[in-house]
Amino acid sequence: MIDLSWLFHLASLFPLDGMDMRFMQQALVALVLLAPMTAALGVQVVCYRMAFFSDAVGHSAFAGVAIGLVLGVNPHISMPLFGLAVGLVIMFMQRFSALPSDTVIGVVFSAVVAAGLAVVSRNNTIARDLQQFLYGDILTMTETDICWLLALFAVFVLFQIVAFNRLLYASTSSIIARAHRVPVALFEYLFAALLALVVMFSVWGVGVLLVTAMLIVPAAAARNFARSAGGMFWWAIVVSLTSAVTGLALSVQPWMGTATGATIILVCCVWFVASVVVLAVRNERQA
Amino acid sequence: MENDNAPAIVFDHVSVTRSGLNILDQVNASVPRGSCTVLIGPNGAGKTTLLLALLGEVNYRGNITLGGGRGLRIGYVPQKLALDRGMPFTVAEFLSMGIQKRPLWLGISRQARKQARDLLDLVHATHLIRRRVGTLSGGEMQRVLLALALQQNPELLVLDEPSAGVDFEGGRLFCELLEDLRKSQGFTQIMVSHDLGMVAHHATCVICLKRRVIAQGPPAKVLTGEVLQTLFGMHMGLICAQDHLHAMPAGSGHTASCGELHHD
Repeated sequence: MIDLSWLFHLASLFPLDGMDMRFMQQALVALVLLAPMTAALGVQVVCYRMAFFSDAVGHSAFAGVAIGLVLGVNPHISMPLFGLAVGLVIMFMQRFSALPSDTVIGVVFSAVVAAGLAVVSRNNTIARDLQQFLYGDILTMTETDICWLLALFAVFVLFQIVAFNRLLYASTSSIIARAHRVPVALFEYLFAALLALVVMFSVWGVGVLLVTAMLIVPAAAARNFARSAGGMFWWAIVVSLTSAVTGLALSVQPWMGTATGATIILVCCVWFVASVVVLAVRNERQA
Repeated sequence: MENDNAPAIVFDHVSVTRSGLNILDQVNASVPRGSCTVLIGPNGAGKTTLLLALLGEVNYRGNITLGGGRGLRIGYVPQKLALDRGMPFTVAEFLSMGIQKRPLWLGISRQARKQARDLLDLVHATHLIRRRVGTLSGGEMQRVLLALALQQNPELLVLDEPSAGVDFEGGRLFCELLEDLRKSQGFTQIMVSHDLGMVAHHATCVICLKRRVIAQGPPAKVLTGEVLQTLFGMHMGLICAQDHLHAMPAGSGHTASCGELHHD
């Protein structure tokens, strides 16, 4: 296991009550790693119109855990792997099926949710974990999870360096991109795989119900703030990161006592409202 | 060494079937190298499908042979772009995403910006470099899409109704621009058009398509009342256009001839 004590020591310096506790340090580190990933991938999800895709992968989390428990596999491993498989199956079916894209996702979505519920309905012990997946709990992130997150973050940074321009090309028009010799399929599969993994880790933090919000809301706010595609990338990260940290800080206040995931999304939504105002003012000035 | 007179594209018994319906039926046609070849035909004739088959975007039976093989540099200009108009995506970024290795979130390099400006110069649209792609008019968008295609330094330029949604004057200017570029850069151009006036003025070769090839050859020989009657099911008044054609000089020196009128 990698020694992460330096990272947790850094987190403990954050001026917030309770940061001397390890679980709070782990939560902060996990959020600081997750937020930029969901934000940047969210920009691409918006460009690709893949919100429904990420929702379907998120909803496969419970089936991933349930199947893992039935097969005796650690849920922290079975869940991301199952999500990855679901993401790749959707991409494959979209590419080779004559069905419309949202129909393909709808079918897979239904199958994974039904599979999860079927397994759960036979086993009450798993049913008790349901709430954690619905609402998420960033405070339960383990040190091993954070090691995986660090590895995923490194892959994410590499991917964004290599693939950002090509994905932008492909999202503009896949036919133009292919005609102009961009290996669209390769980058789409890699993007779907990375997105599936990030979505699964986000489920621990914000829950199945809010995972799509973590992708879409910062990107939607960034779309209003930014004046360029590059600017939208950075704005999404700023919105997501500040929302994550503020949401964590607010949720642990005794007078709030709210679920961290939900609080983070609410802060994101405040950012979004601010972005709508900024856009309206900007348009007014240009008119 | 490759024969300079060999056609740029040969469609050999190309058929496309979708849901049991023959979209294209045994299409045989050739596109001369360096030509401006225009596909004409009524809606549903399979013009766009033939272009998509050429690009490898639809499955087909038969053969499509490209002079220069599958490694041929192709530039593609679609009819329109299904783009979210509110996306903050600048023309400079649009023209840099294909040439710049550095991700655009680290900014546009000086070299990529210069190349983008040079490309916009070519299509007489330098003033658009700071604009958002979503705010461009139909005519401006066509120029930017053409600039993106020219970035490939194409040997073959494929255009699907580039003047659709553009006013008459805009369409005329776009076609003149294309003709100048084709002559200066020497690429082969294949495009779909519904504008028979433009075809008569600018095409060096016409392929009349109605699921199969009705006729192909130089416009002066192909755009006859008989062919147009077969193609569109109505008598077309092309006398003026034909008069104009007779008054036009023959194809430019470097352009291969389109061959004789051919009826299937």
